[in-house]
Amino acid sequence: MINNIATPSFNNSYDIAIIGAGPAGMSAAITATKAGARVVVLDDKPRSGGQIYRNVDASPLAKPAVLGADYLKGSEITAAFKRCSAEHISSVNVWHAGDNGELLFSLEGETQRLTARQIIVATGAMERPFPIPGWHLPGVMSAGSAQVMLKSDGLVRDGAVFAGTGPLLYLIVAQYLRLGVKVKALVDTTPKQNYLSSMSEITGAMSAPGMLIKGLGLMNEIRKSDTKVYRFAEGLEVQGEDACKSLSFSISGSKHEIVTEHVFLHQGVIPNLNMTQALGLKHTWCEQQLCWTPETDNWGQSSQGVIAVAGDSSGIVGAESAAAMGRICALRQLVNIGLITEQQADHEAAADLRFMRKQQHFRRFIDRLYRPLDQHRKPTNDQTVVCRCEERTVKDLKQGFALGGREPNQLKSQTRCGMGPCQGRMCGHTVSELLAEWRNEPVADVGYYRLRSPMRLVTLQELSRFTNLTPVSTVDRASSGTSDSDVEANKEQELAQ
Amino acid sequence: MTTHKSEVLVIGGGIQGSSTAYHLAKRGVSVRVLEKDTVSRHASGVNAGGVRLLGRNLAEVELSKTAMERWQQLDDELDADTGFRARSLINIAADETDMETLRSREQQMHELGYFHEVMLDQHELRERLPHVAQHCIGGVVSEQDGYAIPFHSTQAFRIAAERIGAIFCEGEQVQSIRKVGDSWLVATETQKYQAEHLVNCAGAWADLISVMIGDNVPMSYSAPMLMITARMPHFATPVVGAVSRPLSFKQFENGTVLIGGGAKGFADRANNTTRLDYSLLASGAHHAIEFFPIMKTACINRMWSGLEAYMPDNLPVIGKSIRADKAYHAFAFSAHGFQLGPVIGEVLADLITEGESRFDLEPFRVNRYERKVL
Repeated sequence: MINNIATPSFNNSYDIAIIGAGPAGMSAAITATKAGARVVVLDDKPRSGGQIYRNVDASPLAKPAVLGADYLKGSEITAAFKRCSAEHISSVNVWHAGDNGELLFSLEGETQRLTARQIIVATGAMERPFPIPGWHLPGVMSAGSAQVMLKSDGLVRDGAVFAGTGPLLYLIVAQYLRLGVKVKALVDTTPKQNYLSSMSEITGAMSAPGMLIKGLGLMNEIRKSDTKVYRFAEGLEVQGEDACKSLSFSISGSKHEIVTEHVFLHQGVIPNLNMTQALGLKHTWCEQQLCWTPETDNWGQSSQGVIAVAGDSSGIVGAESAAAMGRICALRQLVNIGLITEQQADHEAAADLRFMRKQQHFRRFIDRLYRPLDQHRKPTNDQTVVCRCEERTVKDLKQGFALGGREPNQLKSQTRCGMGPCQGRMCGHTVSELLAEWRNEPVADVGYYRLRSPMRLVTLQELSRFTNLTPVSTVDRASSGTSDSDVEANKEQELAQ
Repeated sequence: MTTHKSEVLVIGGGIQGSSTAYHLAKRGVSVRVLEKDTVSRHASGVNAGGVRLLGRNLAEVELSKTAMERWQQLDDELDADTGFRARSLINIAADETDMETLRSREQQMHELGYFHEVMLDQHELRERLPHVAQHCIGGVVSEQDGYAIPFHSTQAFRIAAERIGAIFCEGEQVQSIRKVGDSWLVATETQKYQAEHLVNCAGAWADLISVMIGDNVPMSYSAPMLMITARMPHFATPVVGAVSRPLSFKQFENGTVLIGGGAKGFADRANNTTRLDYSLLASGAHHAIEFFPIMKTACINRMWSGLEAYMPDNLPVIGKSIRADKAYHAFAFSAHGFQLGPVIGEVLADLITEGESRFDLEPFRVNRYERKVL
């Protein structure tokens, strides 16, 4: 008799698993737990906050205020996140996520497995690779890594040269200067024509005047210091045989060279694709941001029904929009698992959806203004390293292309480019764009690597020990049912943050 | 619409199809290969690369021995780098039962006049594999065995074949096959092809092609799983297997270790994809550590699987079609066809140009599972 079949209880499974505890992941968890969902949040860092609010509640700096008001604001959301009932599993690398709701991660030398009915990927962004001659040499780092060292360990480098373009670059230079660290030079690669072309989006910029003013403030701060600023630089090359000796570049035809052992490069951020690609989600090439992004609807739902993507891993949106997106994704998934109605979700998401639409205008302006130079994304020098793990140069790739490696996976099999431990993070976009150029076809037709788990290295011993993880407590839904007004009140409180 | 004509049409651009095209082109036969995705996209490009004569089913030994001779000079013949390295292959005996299995196999092989499998005692095993676990008491070695890089090997056949006139058409999925008069007429979504001879090397999709030709076959398909580590210090020169445990690995020159063992994931051939079974991979990891404790800290860099075809007896289908004239099969190599690639092309070229092969193909006939109706 069909009536005798028990309803699946999902007692050993989570309702929602969230990967990443940055602004998007944390706000998704807060929203979902308020509605009574069993939520688990997995994050690779010891503390919640993500990259942007890294260590905000445990800064090694005497005066964390030098990192800026935007950073300090993060402590509000991390506090709210700690108060919510989500299980937070920190310092773990999720190395596999499946569209069947399976998550595998390493914890204390073992592989833990859990299942969730819905998954929110909120793995954030990474810095866009900067494949110029010498970028692989010791002494060259990304500016973001310099900031990580600053935020987590209070470490800085005196006399470094910062080079590239984008708001994060100026922010980090300003943070260095506020700490009294000497910055040898800022080599700005934002080209003149970007200032002109971004003017068509100026109305968008004006839609978020606060952001604009913040940006101008940073530039003023840098100009007022004695840091030498070079504008409109191009043709960047790091010189040196075994280590960085200097940075050379040209400005309207005249050559410059700055002697330094430390170069911090940055030309914007792109979504961290490893998880969304390994999940097999559909991706499209975003011409505005020059990166691959997972296809999502307004609610962050991906091409796979049970998986949503929130925050910068869905395309670069910034911290505030990421938080809004986290809430929106959570609301949709609460509908999917039947904890709230569609009407409730529509109602509660309205303000966030409006906010995000508005932010998109501003984003178009930023993306236009800080669009990185073609020559710094698509290396032409034969000796430039594209794949750092396997040390494959432009020349190696050209040879692979000539032998039939016309699409990223064939080229990978042919040359080993992208086969190393970073799983193609550092070369994937470069390869897509180079192949598009060589084939004279749109990047969208070239595609990206087919990725596989593990998304992070996992030891054989960790893999060999397999444990299932189930929710700590089963939520009593009857008593935690949330009324409309409760949710509304909570919502306002959140927005106020 | 023009019909593309050739003497032979090969369906499937894996190592068997590419090798067949090469051997036919070498004899001056016009040949065209239809590949539904890209050449060596599936099992031929992503397998473990084992070039193994050791432990072959008796029906396959002659083919495998000839293939092994070809491998020793394949790079020169194809003017390419297949990555082939003769490193020997050792199957480890973990207990007395394993040793007994090896002794009776040795006796059988000697009676048939085969002496390429040589037993090792514990001391000899440890000399060749210093890091093997204490409990391993012996093994068997085949000296000529080794590995090659599958993608490069398959591409090497393709490029060599193209150089002498073979044509490869990628992205051409066969939709229909008809025999009209003396000609095979094959249609893909946008193209029509005509040939006198038709060869089915369609791997995990070969049963579908076989049915279109007229031969029913109880083929299945699956997704054998592999994983590879990041570089680690050199610790094993031979390729390693085990007599009765699902263990198989090889350390490449760059230090990475490829671990197989036959555990299978889930195959979804309609969508060209596979799904891995991580709990099975976990037990594979367990076996690797049990036999080689040094691998405890090895870091797994990638895990994957390819779509592979199997017959119930784990032997391939090789030979002429039963139902149709001038049609030939070579598929369902059941996860050990890569090594045979160089010789299979010769066999099919012989069947097409000479009408027969010097090898006994009886155990591989396509209708070996057909029963008489009572």
